[in-house]
Amino acid sequence: MQEFFQLPVFGVFISILAFAGGREIRKKLNYVLLNPVLLAILFIISFLLIFNIDFEDYNRGGKFISFFLGPSVVALGVFFYEKYEEVKQNLKVFLLSVAIGGVSGILTIIIFLMLLKVPRFIIESLASKSVTTPIAIEITKLTGGIPEITAGIVIAVGIFGNAFGPFILKKLGIKSKIAIGTALGTAAHGIGTARAFEESKLAGVYSGLAMCVNGIITALLTPYLLLLFMGSHA
Amino acid sequence: MLKALAYIFGFLLLGELITYFFEIPIAGNILGMFLIFMALRLKIIKLQDVKPASDKLIKYLVLFFIPYGVGLMVYFEIIADYWMPISVAVIASTIITLYISAIIIEKLEK
Repeated sequence: MQEFFQLPVFGVFISILAFAGGREIRKKLNYVLLNPVLLAILFIISFLLIFNIDFEDYNRGGKFISFFLGPSVVALGVFFYEKYEEVKQNLKVFLLSVAIGGVSGILTIIIFLMLLKVPRFIIESLASKSVTTPIAIEITKLTGGIPEITAGIVIAVGIFGNAFGPFILKKLGIKSKIAIGTALGTAAHGIGTARAFEESKLAGVYSGLAMCVNGIITALLTPYLLLLFMGSHA
Repeated sequence: MLKALAYIFGFLLLGELITYFFEIPIAGNILGMFLIFMALRLKIIKLQDVKPASDKLIKYLVLFFIPYGVGLMVYFEIIADYWMPISVAVIASTIITLYISAIIIEKLEK
């Protein structure tokens, strides 16, 4: 039976099935913590544990799915071009907000984890926690962290931003929809952006663009900021 | 659709090619994202030539990172030892990022 699960089609099928199932559940019960990706991941992990299937065997098929992350990042460039016109009016302020927000996201996570004495490979895996999963994974590959840890935490950050972001920002006195959208995209990538679209169309567009811009900023700076704070590998 | 896919994969390959030859510390796909944006801005390629493929890819973006999320199971025990400091640091950092980013727009927006 183990050999059967080593067929790539198993990993491909269960990924698609779990994701489709997660979306159906979300449609029926509209509750924010029931994120389709989270449900799909929990379902697949449970399935693998129950049937005693190694992750490596699942990933023989899974890697055909995750391969598409590469072209998807390129597709974000097209999305950016399409929506770029809509933010032109506030472009400078928008870029300033994403740049400073994005950099403070990287700096604070590195500093907090260092203060809490978390091992280096975890800090390297989490430095890019605010940006969209495919970009965060690539950054982690360059910094020496573990991409799977990055993916798990990035998804958690997105769900946190999606569930609590607008509430926290409103409590802190933020009124502008554009501000809320930009903040969600900068701090909580695509999953935060989904929530921004619920606030308003314009907030969603700003959020999506903030996600792309912070992806680039974080990709460019993270390796250097890690080096600056932690020194090079011994 | 086929043309659009060819463009997307072409720019991805171009990004990979540049990082391969110049050893720049940035991923090929991120460079590809930047290059396709520039190509659209400079009107080297047309939006309608790439849009069919890019829309579909973005629509299913979250499906594509499920395998990495599942991979977390391999490292579960390692990070379980640090779940408390990780949670505190990640939540605090995320709230600070949200606030700094939002307050700049709130104060300066036209």
